[in-house]
Amino acid sequence: MAPPPAQAVVEDNSGERASWFQVAPLVVVLLLFFGLPMLVVLAVSFFDFSRTEIIPAFIFDNYIDLFRSEVTFRLYASSLKFALIVWLVTLVLGFNIAYFLVFHVRGLLFQIGLFLLCTVPFLTSNIIRMISWIPFLGRNGIFNQALQGAGITSQPLEFLLFSDFAVIVAYVHLFTLFMVVPIFNSMARIDKSLLEAARDAGAGRFRVVAEVVLPLSRTGIALGSIFVVTLVMGDSFVVRTMSGGQSASVVSALQNEVAALQYPPAAASAVIMVIIVTLMVAAILRVVDVRKELAG
Amino acid sequence: MAPSTPPPNGEVAVVGVTKRFGETTAVRDLSLTIPHGSYCCLLGPSGCGKTTILRMIAGHEKPTSGDIRIGGQSVLGLPQVQRGTAMMFQSYALFPHRSVLDNVAFALKMRGASAAERHAKARELLTKVQLEKFGDRLPAQLSGGQQQRVALARALITNPRVLLLDEPLSALDEYLRLRMRGELRRVQKELGITFVHVTHTQLEAIAVADMVVVMAQGHIEQAASARDIFVAPRNAYVARFVGGQNVLAGSVESVMNGTAAVAGKNGMRYAIPVGERRPMRGSPLWGSIRRDRIAIEKIAPGAKPASGLNAVVGEVHTLENQGSYVKVTLDLGDSEEFVAHVLDETFFTQPLDIGERVVARWSASDVKLLADGPIAEETAPAGTAMATAG
Amino acid sequence: MHGDDTRPWTFYAFAAFFTLFVLFLYGPMIVIYILSFQGPNGGMTFPMNGVSLHWFSALVSQTRVGDIAGSFVRSLGLAAMVAVITVVLAVLAGLAFRRRFRGSAFAFYLAIASLIMPGLFVGLGIALTFRLLGLPTEWFTTGLGAQLTWTLPFGLLIMFAVLGRFNRSYEEAAIDLGASNWQKVKEVTLPILLPGIIGVALFGFTLSYDEIARTALAAGAKNTLPLEIWAMTTNVTSPTLYAVGAVTTIVSFIVIVLSLGSIALVQRRRAAAGARTE
Repeated sequence: MAPPPAQAVVEDNSGERASWFQVAPLVVVLLLFFGLPMLVVLAVSFFDFSRTEIIPAFIFDNYIDLFRSEVTFRLYASSLKFALIVWLVTLVLGFNIAYFLVFHVRGLLFQIGLFLLCTVPFLTSNIIRMISWIPFLGRNGIFNQALQGAGITSQPLEFLLFSDFAVIVAYVHLFTLFMVVPIFNSMARIDKSLLEAARDAGAGRFRVVAEVVLPLSRTGIALGSIFVVTLVMGDSFVVRTMSGGQSASVVSALQNEVAALQYPPAAASAVIMVIIVTLMVAAILRVVDVRKELAG
Repeated sequence: MAPSTPPPNGEVAVVGVTKRFGETTAVRDLSLTIPHGSYCCLLGPSGCGKTTILRMIAGHEKPTSGDIRIGGQSVLGLPQVQRGTAMMFQSYALFPHRSVLDNVAFALKMRGASAAERHAKARELLTKVQLEKFGDRLPAQLSGGQQQRVALARALITNPRVLLLDEPLSALDEYLRLRMRGELRRVQKELGITFVHVTHTQLEAIAVADMVVVMAQGHIEQAASARDIFVAPRNAYVARFVGGQNVLAGSVESVMNGTAAVAGKNGMRYAIPVGERRPMRGSPLWGSIRRDRIAIEKIAPGAKPASGLNAVVGEVHTLENQGSYVKVTLDLGDSEEFVAHVLDETFFTQPLDIGERVVARWSASDVKLLADGPIAEETAPAGTAMATAG
Repeated sequence: MHGDDTRPWTFYAFAAFFTLFVLFLYGPMIVIYILSFQGPNGGMTFPMNGVSLHWFSALVSQTRVGDIAGSFVRSLGLAAMVAVITVVLAVLAGLAFRRRFRGSAFAFYLAIASLIMPGLFVGLGIALTFRLLGLPTEWFTTGLGAQLTWTLPFGLLIMFAVLGRFNRSYEEAAIDLGASNWQKVKEVTLPILLPGIIGVALFGFTLSYDEIARTALAAGAKNTLPLEIWAMTTNVTSPTLYAVGAVTTIVSFIVIVLSLGSIALVQRRRAAAGARTE
């Protein structure tokens, strides 16, 4: 991920100064509401606290407690499990949808129309999209009614709602788009004649995908993976609602601490989480050098 | 489109200009004077620096060192509008959100002219490019040729003294390209202003320009009239790039009466006129022979090829019928391409086949000496001291 | 696979797969819009027990469900503010990134980090910062700032995409024809970029209007609409929830249709321009 290469080389300083003025407002807002707060979180993670207040200090207790607690590892295991499953599902879905839109749909207008059809839900409320699964998956929900009506089961399936299954369904529902859009962008840039050349050379349908399409859309796959993994790892709202409180994630546990005004442990937990997410993103970037490919 | 008053002096002088982009040098210590009122083509392969020169004249790039003068005055640091230049962009850069009329009137709007005034002037120009009916259209609703004429009208509305054209014909199809290049030439003659036209197409440059500047890798190989560039290229690079010539290379065997006998590869021998010069024996020498001054004879199977001066023997490699002549490419067994343009009547009285062995002959008086590298200079003209031997 | 008239079998397989995906995307949402018209005695799932607007009227009349109307107004106002600020700042910054300047990498990575940082952490950081500074958190100060950490990077990335396709010679032509820097921006750059800028505004508005993770801890005492709905999910067990969902989605759709409509309008006027003049 890098800014597009500058189109004109500027040798005098006036251009650079103009750029600074233009970018300054954005940087100031981000420093004030993102940079500084993140530094504060880092500082507070070393603070002491009591029932009612946070006490400036420099202690490692919050971290030590975090690593001593068996709960921490269970929470991370749970979050990573969700991230892995959701990543795999959204990757398969996203790749195929993007492939269909780019290589099978004819006509630009039709392609844009179908693309918008996929993107519009992204612009509506996540919470509403999440709770819209409740009448579907509930004990007396549409899915169970249909299964029983068709005689497939006699008892309603209990695992559908307020379970890990529901959490994953909601994640996939909410986040697949973050996979579709970057992969779509990568694939749209592939010269169609490459595919024809590969087929002329005797590659079958699946070889073409494996040998040509997949390597050429890896930037999109990497970007989509970064989005999906960070979104799942950072979520607390979906896991709370859709598991009915039965599952937890690192962040939902952190949210409980915040509710109990235990800011320093919450801050320590956030710092560890940020480190882990950063490592995951770095791992993805190691596999695919997004920067090089975006610049080129 | 003739303006009522004669245009101000549009002589363009590029004086010792160097332009670097970071590590790469696009133009290296280049000097060039384009006379007022002439049509000049900058010709060269992509990356030779021709567009950079154009953009420096226009003021879209600043030279790293050197000076740009228009009408004898340095324009460095002057804003584009005060240079009296106008530019026609490669893709025309017609504003897609404005009507054709507003595109043409844009420069007057920027100068604060009233709507009535600028539209009247814009209509006048559109009439001159025969697009008066298209004023309300958007650029996208015009054909490529029409867009090109709108771009021309837009550039001319400020009565510039220099018009800069960046590959103005490259976006057009072959038919329009040929028509529009004649049109550009006509407009230039009418206005009497300086045109500087960047192109990578040899025939385009030769067709329109008074003066052709052949460039390579940031420097000038030859700046001369279009005719000279074609019939008397200065060196092998120009001869090869402009086409129309075969390059004869070899080492000097003897010099007699202003003519050097040169031995090429595969036992070929040529005579190259050297005038007063006396190249050293064994030193390399280059000459050129026009493709249309070569006669081709078949060699009967089994016959011994008649070798000698000013003849080469080879196999017919490719044949291309160009209508009025046939382009015959010979394989002489070396890397240099050897081409003969044979008049169609001559060719079809005794057609050739690919693979046939032929002998190509020319007259020694049609060969021109090429000034390639220091080699020709190595030996001083008679009467002066010997230069250092290489 | 292009240019021949018969579709390969995989096309139909993909088309079926795509249809299923679209059903998966929209099906549940459509169901709750239907269920929001549930009769007064109906429950949160099928069957429909009559058809009524009962749950919609309950939205405005019942105090028990909280401050829906107030939070709705706050969210619209906040979204409008976010959209305006995002457009101005992201467009400016996008233009800045067309030149090389010292610190560009810092600004870029700051934006990317802000984009992928778990939202709740940003809210937590803002809440802690303001708490330490002894300042109150309000939806229109800290809430606004929290949302900008999400919409600004998005806007910037959209601007990169938009500017990547922008042909610089339009600007050079304007300068060549005597435009000042400001005239160039006003007469040429901004009008040509307009569809992209509308896109940035659309994203700014809807991302703010639906944002929850960043806002949750930074919005102060008064809730935005998504926070209000979030609170409802834990204590409201009637189709009122669906009615809220239907209303808020309609608002989103109006914004989307207005934005896309105006983009389409602008684009149609120069539909083929890209092909010839870029």
